[in-house]
Amino acid sequence: MRSRTTTGLALLTGAALALSACSGGDDPEPGDGGSGGGNGDDGSSAEVTLDFFTDKAAWEPSFEDMNTASDGLAPQLSFTGYSDPTAYDAFIKQSFRTDERPDLFTWHTGDRLGELVEQGLVAETTDIWDQAIADGYVSEDLAANYTYDGKQYCVPLNVVYWVIYYNQAVFDEHGLDVPSTWEEFTAVADTLVDAGVVPLHQMNIIFEFVWFQAILAGMDPEAYDGLSDGSVSYTDPTVVEAMETWHQMQSDGYFIDPGVTTDPQTLLQTGETAMAYFGTFFTGQLTDLGMVSGEDYGMFVLPSVDPGLADTPVVVETGPLCVGTDSENEQAALDYSAWWMGTDAQSAWSDSRGDVSFNPNATVTDEALAEITAQVTGDGYQQLRRYLEATPTPIYTVAAEEFGAFVTNNDDPMGHLEAIQAEADAHWADQG
Amino acid sequence: MALRRLILGILGVLWLVPVYLLLANASKLPAEFGDYGLWEPGTLAGLWANFAEAFERGKLSGGLLSTATYAIVSPLIAVIVGAAAGFSIVALRLRHGFAWFVVIFASSIFPLQMILMPLFVGYAETGLFNTRIGMILVYTVIAVPFSAFVMRNFFTGIAHQVFEAAVVDGASTLRIFVAIYLPMALPALIAVFILQATFIWNDLLLGLTLTQSAEVRPIITALSALQSTYGGSAMSTVLAGGLLVSLPTVVLFLATQRVFTRGLSLGQF
Amino acid sequence: MTMPTPRQAELQAASRPKNAYRLSSIGFVAPSVLLVAVVLYLPFIWTTYISFTEYNGLGDPTWVGLENYREMFADPEFLTSIRNTLFWVVGTIALPVGLGLLIATLTHGMPRATWFRLPFLIPYAVSGVAVGVIWSFVLQTNGALSQALEFLHLPGSELRWLLDGPLNTFVMIGASTWQGAGVNALLFGIGLQSIPKEPIEAARVDGASGFTLFRTMTWPMLAPLTTVVVGLAIVGSLKTFDVIWGMTKGGPGRVSETLALTMFKETFVNNSYGLGAAVALFLTVVTVLASILYLRRQLADSRGA
Repeated sequence: MRSRTTTGLALLTGAALALSACSGGDDPEPGDGGSGGGNGDDGSSAEVTLDFFTDKAAWEPSFEDMNTASDGLAPQLSFTGYSDPTAYDAFIKQSFRTDERPDLFTWHTGDRLGELVEQGLVAETTDIWDQAIADGYVSEDLAANYTYDGKQYCVPLNVVYWVIYYNQAVFDEHGLDVPSTWEEFTAVADTLVDAGVVPLHQMNIIFEFVWFQAILAGMDPEAYDGLSDGSVSYTDPTVVEAMETWHQMQSDGYFIDPGVTTDPQTLLQTGETAMAYFGTFFTGQLTDLGMVSGEDYGMFVLPSVDPGLADTPVVVETGPLCVGTDSENEQAALDYSAWWMGTDAQSAWSDSRGDVSFNPNATVTDEALAEITAQVTGDGYQQLRRYLEATPTPIYTVAAEEFGAFVTNNDDPMGHLEAIQAEADAHWADQG
Repeated sequence: MALRRLILGILGVLWLVPVYLLLANASKLPAEFGDYGLWEPGTLAGLWANFAEAFERGKLSGGLLSTATYAIVSPLIAVIVGAAAGFSIVALRLRHGFAWFVVIFASSIFPLQMILMPLFVGYAETGLFNTRIGMILVYTVIAVPFSAFVMRNFFTGIAHQVFEAAVVDGASTLRIFVAIYLPMALPALIAVFILQATFIWNDLLLGLTLTQSAEVRPIITALSALQSTYGGSAMSTVLAGGLLVSLPTVVLFLATQRVFTRGLSLGQF
Repeated sequence: MTMPTPRQAELQAASRPKNAYRLSSIGFVAPSVLLVAVVLYLPFIWTTYISFTEYNGLGDPTWVGLENYREMFADPEFLTSIRNTLFWVVGTIALPVGLGLLIATLTHGMPRATWFRLPFLIPYAVSGVAVGVIWSFVLQTNGALSQALEFLHLPGSELRWLLDGPLNTFVMIGASTWQGAGVNALLFGIGLQSIPKEPIEAARVDGASGFTLFRTMTWPMLAPLTTVVVGLAIVGSLKTFDVIWGMTKGGPGRVSETLALTMFKETFVNNSYGLGAAVALFLTVVTVLASILYLRRQLADSRGA
């Protein structure tokens, strides 16, 4: 019923538009897609060009490199990049109402992917995952991010580990070593504060949640997980303790003034901040400034706050590469997805981006990154989802606002937690 | 006159300070950015290097032709269409003119962000999505209310006797509009044109939503890609890109300034 | 062209059938009306419908009646949004409009006026992407503004410009003044040019000068363009989005949020298309009322036409 009304309106708009401007003119269909997508044998799908959309517009050169790598083996991508993530999300969702469905597009794990799966808009990839796991291309842990009702959807575009980057020269100057316990970590920070150096970077927008995530995960990973399904409350003692720890760190002068909006990579380069907690994509930004991994900067996994934890938690962020159901070249896009997870593709990707890969067989050129990957995928570490993807959208929105205000004003943590919990209560009550 | 110059001079310098900061910071190489204070200028070589980097990385050459087309054709149509509406309301004394004026003007009130999604669906259904025609259409419409508002009010400054005299001479309404009203309104027409052309040149939202291929997409969508959270470029590259993209509009303002200084007075009619 | 006296013209006009220009007047206004109706009003109707539904951008909207409106008014932060929006309206009429008038008046009739006007126009021509970056340089903690104040031994260098509300709203109004004053000066300039010289000269001969001359002669004759500038300022300020989204995203927390930001965040960040549409509708109704109130008064003289 309702959908008919909406479609009716859309059609009305459309009809009127067609009247007021004679359409035609430029050919709206880019690429040579279309035919041949249906039969999945390699020969034909490798000749298809897929309409590919992403909000990671700055990665275009790397996707071009991938077109070179997939030449003759898998489809080519016709790249359309969006710089504005909100406009992008809205565009993708609305495109499913039209004939402009994307063959292949990047998305977010968590709630946002759940929405698409629920509406049947993304193609199932269970077979691809089964094969990839059997081939050792990807861990089962990672599959959890892509699993809904026991089936997999999309494949991982990338994986990001959240670690501490540090300025080597600053560490040398103050005789500091990479800390292996939380106690050593705070000792490093105290030394820096005493020397007049700001130990850590943080922001009050975009990445305002990361220190909440780092501290709570390091204190009680189960409580951190519990927040995402409502089994743990934001006002539970552990969460309050984590927030108090953050509060204390801010009071002790551990963090840079959030009003400083200089690029974090520049701040780390000049040593204005000695360390920054970032995803491994940060390496690319440092490379752009001419900084050399292992010489100018290093990285380490943040030690867990609770020394009693058997496995050190590492936060992992992963973004999906999805195939639109009933898109023009659905089968070819699935073929591409399978190819994407393979070792050759991932080595090419890792080389082009200078980043890590989810595929343990892929060659990671940057030594420090290779080391981090080996470390966090080995024994003694556990992977946790990033807060942004782990949290339902309405709760996340309020949390981001509250954490942003907390970072800015360093006021009483309790009020912020109560505000987030109020939204969480409303949300979980809604879910029944 | 001296006092005037003094006030204008002080204000002007104040207004140029951010422009200076723009130039100064766009001319620092990203790797050396941290070595400078904010107020210190970089080097000319740095500026060129950043221009080159932004141009290549942002693929700024791609959208140049289509953006120029949109920024010239759309405001041109809009300015005529809007002036026609103003002419109808003021000179031809359209019945319920105020109501019609409100209908046209009120359409500019609705926030653009909310129009995007239904517009995208409509465009996709009609095949206007990702076409130059579609972009010209939407930019024209966006510029019409402003144009109609300015032209309507400008025409109220023209004595109605001008119209009546022309009628006595036997001119048709179309002729009166084209041969008398439009020429008299030249400064206003040009002002509306350059303001709307600048707006269209700098538009991001409509470009992002209604286009897809590099040939149709406006240039700002490419520029803004430099600034994304994931793997965006350094601030000085973004600034250099912004500066580069702004050059045509600055030149446009410079080139049209003369029109405004020529004292075109309506008193003589 | 021979100029008929007003009396003759009246006689001629009266002798014609009353609706002589009816057809052509409709013909001239039709393109504008059709264009905005199709491209702008249809999406508006769609959004109005959405505001009565719950909709996450996928699937089908569910009818919820007035629930979104109830939720909107129940949100305590909605008041902050309204307050900030009011700051923007008042601030925009005072600063960019006031300064625009000042600049236009001062440069009017001045030799080489072009060069004096240019610094104010450049900011409008510079693309928004660069403007956002530059102002964040200026306004960040210990940024260009604080450094300058310190250098000049002026107070205020310790202020956290973008972090504390409502200070951040005020400084952002400043940034938008920097961008918008030149456009208003340009429009006022056109108004000044179209003012007949004779009455001004006559008043000057009668001994009026400076501010008196401006108040009694120039200002009333400038009215048509003043209406345009103020009307646009009201609409523009109620819808202010880009500057705020570029600098604070409405934060920290929600202290610098305006109605346009609330609308955008609810729709695209929070995925509550219905609630966002309700805010959009509220914003539109307020803006339409404000502009009609203003325009009715200003355009009253020509309304009957």
